[in-house]
Amino acid sequence: MKSIPTPLLAIACGVTICILSMPPLVAQQPRDSATEEKKLLAVLQSDAPAAQKAITCKELAIYGSSAAVPELAKLLPNPQLSSWARIPLEVIPASESDDALRSAAESLQGQLLVGVINSIGVRRDANSVPILITRLEDNDQQVASAAAVALGKIGNNAATESLRTTLRIGPEGLRSVVAEACVLCAERRLLTGNAPEAAEIYDQVRNADVPLQRIVESTRGAILARGQEGVPLLVETLRSPEKKLRQLALATVREFPGNQVDAALAAELKQVSPERAAWIIQAMADRPETVVLPAILEAVEQNNKQLQASAIEALRRVGDESCLASLLGVATGNDPDLRQVAKETLAELPGDRVDGKIVAMLPTAKGQQYPVLLHLVAQRRIDAVPQVVRALDSQDAIVRQAALVALGQTVSLDRLSLLVTSVTAPRHSEDSEIARQSLRAACVRMPDREACASQLSKAISNASTSTQTTILEILAEMGGQAALETVSAAAMSADAQQQDDGSRLLGKWNSVAAAPSLMSLATSGPTAKYRLRGLRGYIGVARKFPMPESQRVEMCRKAFDQATRIDEQKLVLDVLKIHPSAEGLALALRAQKVSALKSDATLAASQIAQKLGGKGIDIAAMLKAGGIKTVKLQIIRAEYGADGIVKDVTEIVRKRAGSVPWIALPAGGYNTSFGGDPVPGQVKQLTIQYLMDGKQGTASFAENAPILLPLPK
Amino acid sequence: MPRKPVPTVASVVEPTRRQFLKKTAIATGAVISAPTIIPSSALGLDGAVPPSDRIVVGGIGIGNRGGYDLGCFLQQKDVQFVAVCDVKEKRRTAIKKRVDEHHSNDQCATYSDFRELLDRSDIDAVLIATGPNWHATAAMTAAKAGKDMYCEKPVTKNISQSLILADTMRRTGRVFQAGTQRRNLPHFAFACELARTGKLGRLKKVYAHPAGMQAMMSGWLVPETEPDAQVVDWNMYLGPAAWRPFNKKLLDGFNFEKGGGLVGGGVLEWGSHCVDLCQWAVDDCLPPVEYNAPKNGELVTRYENGTELIFREKGWIPLGSCPVRFEGENGWVEAGDSGKMVLSSPELLAGRQVDQIGGYPATFHVRDFLDCVKSRRQPKGNAVAACNAHIACHAANIALHLGRQVKYDNVKHEFINDEQANRLRSEALREPWRL
Repeated sequence: MKSIPTPLLAIACGVTICILSMPPLVAQQPRDSATEEKKLLAVLQSDAPAAQKAITCKELAIYGSSAAVPELAKLLPNPQLSSWARIPLEVIPASESDDALRSAAESLQGQLLVGVINSIGVRRDANSVPILITRLEDNDQQVASAAAVALGKIGNNAATESLRTTLRIGPEGLRSVVAEACVLCAERRLLTGNAPEAAEIYDQVRNADVPLQRIVESTRGAILARGQEGVPLLVETLRSPEKKLRQLALATVREFPGNQVDAALAAELKQVSPERAAWIIQAMADRPETVVLPAILEAVEQNNKQLQASAIEALRRVGDESCLASLLGVATGNDPDLRQVAKETLAELPGDRVDGKIVAMLPTAKGQQYPVLLHLVAQRRIDAVPQVVRALDSQDAIVRQAALVALGQTVSLDRLSLLVTSVTAPRHSEDSEIARQSLRAACVRMPDREACASQLSKAISNASTSTQTTILEILAEMGGQAALETVSAAAMSADAQQQDDGSRLLGKWNSVAAAPSLMSLATSGPTAKYRLRGLRGYIGVARKFPMPESQRVEMCRKAFDQATRIDEQKLVLDVLKIHPSAEGLALALRAQKVSALKSDATLAASQIAQKLGGKGIDIAAMLKAGGIKTVKLQIIRAEYGADGIVKDVTEIVRKRAGSVPWIALPAGGYNTSFGGDPVPGQVKQLTIQYLMDGKQGTASFAENAPILLPLPK
Repeated sequence: MPRKPVPTVASVVEPTRRQFLKKTAIATGAVISAPTIIPSSALGLDGAVPPSDRIVVGGIGIGNRGGYDLGCFLQQKDVQFVAVCDVKEKRRTAIKKRVDEHHSNDQCATYSDFRELLDRSDIDAVLIATGPNWHATAAMTAAKAGKDMYCEKPVTKNISQSLILADTMRRTGRVFQAGTQRRNLPHFAFACELARTGKLGRLKKVYAHPAGMQAMMSGWLVPETEPDAQVVDWNMYLGPAAWRPFNKKLLDGFNFEKGGGLVGGGVLEWGSHCVDLCQWAVDDCLPPVEYNAPKNGELVTRYENGTELIFREKGWIPLGSCPVRFEGENGWVEAGDSGKMVLSSPELLAGRQVDQIGGYPATFHVRDFLDCVKSRRQPKGNAVAACNAHIACHAANIALHLGRQVKYDNVKHEFINDEQANRLRSEALREPWRL
């Protein structure tokens, strides 16, 4: 038996073999193909198990050359390895691959022959056309079908002529696949600029006695191949009694070039039922550059709800200011469904002049149209503050509230006081909630956050208690220094409600900037409840936000020292586990000295140490310094795997064992450390037999768990 | 060093479902396409969907994920589910029972060979939720049989399949929706819209979570006794994957060590989730042209315009699985499966409300698909979008496997002066399957 070079990782499992070809994990120089090929060919030439030859074939897809073809060709008659051998044979760019496949196409039978013919099709080997034409008449229909598709992929004149002849006079059972192949030939002609011949082939297929889907495909091609002269066929197809052909036409409308089709579609709207017109309008609107807009606008006015809805919705994509009057009419009309669709279309109506026209309509707006226009100002964020402000004086609450919403979306900082006053001193109590929502909407979008926060903060002193809460909540949502100062001051104030609001909002602050205020609250807050809230918020900041690790550990240290309860100390340990660092490890080790925390702290320390493994940190020394007892450790055996498929990792673990009961792996998870995944897709286990201080023990660890060996009893 | 989130003003927000539906409809016109926008009750139908408006659906490979998708389909009143195909008898039986109970009949037919299901002329569309080795082949076979399809991800096993998939859907005129349901989840859609519409300024970097960066080649597992084909049809289960002996570990669960291509890591599996969103954020442009070997937990790729798509393992704000982050010159946004997102400035919300969306609804995505089946528009996870996102994943996997930089030509669809990489663009299918 020849020796087997193993560029591949082979894992022996009794008499069977599980093989994975491992990738490099870091950047590397390209592997030399000739060298790799030599090793791989040695595998194919050996008595290696079929499993190994299979994966070797796949490697040869990258590194194989014409030299590999003879060995690969030998595998083509092998039912287990034929598909593997075709992997490299399909991609090796050498004529020898074509020769081998052609040769096999003349000798093989059945499914293996089908596979070989499929590969010939992928390679588009023109020299194989005579063989394929012969195979087109094979008694095995699968073989003949494969030959037809391969000829279609090659698509040269000989292949095309053969297929067209077979479509005319060939057996009925082959017609569908031959038609499929003819479409491929036609497509190739279209791509290479021979549209007339393409159209001829498409026409032959769509007029043949073939399944409907073949007619669908060839009709699409026949329409597109004709260019602008394809419009009549497209319209004819739109009128087809066959649903699938009508659907095909709707799809083809969307890819048809030029603008002649748009006029034809507009005319067609008047010829078809409202239901079909509704679908055609949707297709028209997907041609925004050339759409005939008046035709869609006309449909908006028709007395058919389905058609109207389609037209209104289509205007979202292709409408402009000329559609405003019609849409406003529907938006204030009697039908609630159409009203809703029209309002949504108005909010998104395209066109540069739409906004200007809406502003111009505001001064004279009346009735139901007035609030609709004001809502459009809000939705479209149109700068029309003077016109909107006038609406605040309206006797109609609906109009006033629509104006407040509009202001919330459009007012600038210099007019923000309008909304602040509406909140702190509302003229109409029923407008209060809308005013608050609008103020919030305005504040969170202000570009100068600090100036906005200052203005808002000044309003607190004269506001009612509930309004103070609203303002503080808005400030918290805005963030920034001025907002933080105001909320912090509220938390430390003498007012009970402000204490509650301020501490609650500080605890949820969305940046690390809140840390000093939270610690201040934790140390000298007005009550124990708020001091605890401050401490928990402080720990939350350390947990959530990106910051230098030294800063995080310092925060953890302060929080740990400030905590008077185990619960908060455990939260600190959680932070250290999530953000492992050497300083954090030291703090976790320190926490072991608190007896009630000992087990949590030890677990945290081991998890941190595990994550730090391989980062050049002397974990063992730190563990020793932290009080972990030095032991005499000897690894007897270590195995990694699942379900009886295990890999011997004794040497790797042994090299990592030291004088503490903790084993740091190089980096990453177990799979990386142990050179690959022995049982992909399964949760694996690491089992270690060891001697610790002379006592024998066995410990198992779930995949990627920290390896902290217990002292055997 | 792994990229850390910028410590600046941020807001955790959860956009409302209603706003999303409205916005999505506005953006695509597809989620609530107009001819179906009017409730049937308003048209005098009292909530019933007339038979002519129903979409007849069959399922192929309905396991765990497929079962979830099936639930989303069954919620739609215009869906009539009539058939299920699975190579596993237990699953066929279980799905038939579920579907029959839902429709209160015994009409759900069962098949072990999906070609028999595709032969049925009454079926309009199929749900494909097989193992990933089957996705592309089953989808293209379904398209050639005249079916529209909702196909789970990852959709393809290599670059060549991705390109052929897009071509096939175009040629056959079929509606294809990849199971990239995050394209119809409100917060992801909002985050992508911020990036796509320039609200973040010129995009500099988009980040995707690969959930493991390995790219291996798969082989055989330990041979075991093959069950009776009626119980588990191993030959059909393998399908286009190169032959290997039966092993039950290949049958169940999240096992991607089958079906060829480069496997073992998350670049393709998670990439088809996260990279797909990044592609949407860059307006579904052509995939990156440069892919580098990973360094410090990041695999950096570059688009033609210089924007970087970065596969990043660590440094994420804890927002749940499948996180993405988009950074522009004027701001950034990060979102994850928790339904929340963090933004560099509340101004980016443009007045939107913070609200709980809850759940994990692929229903929107299924609805998008069904509406497009009717309107013939392109759904959000259409074949071209899926093709580009998958090419990005496959090319990154190739750089990972070769351990070096590769450069991709989006016109020729080949790696530049790199024969080794080019050979990994495709992989022969087992006989008799072809694309």
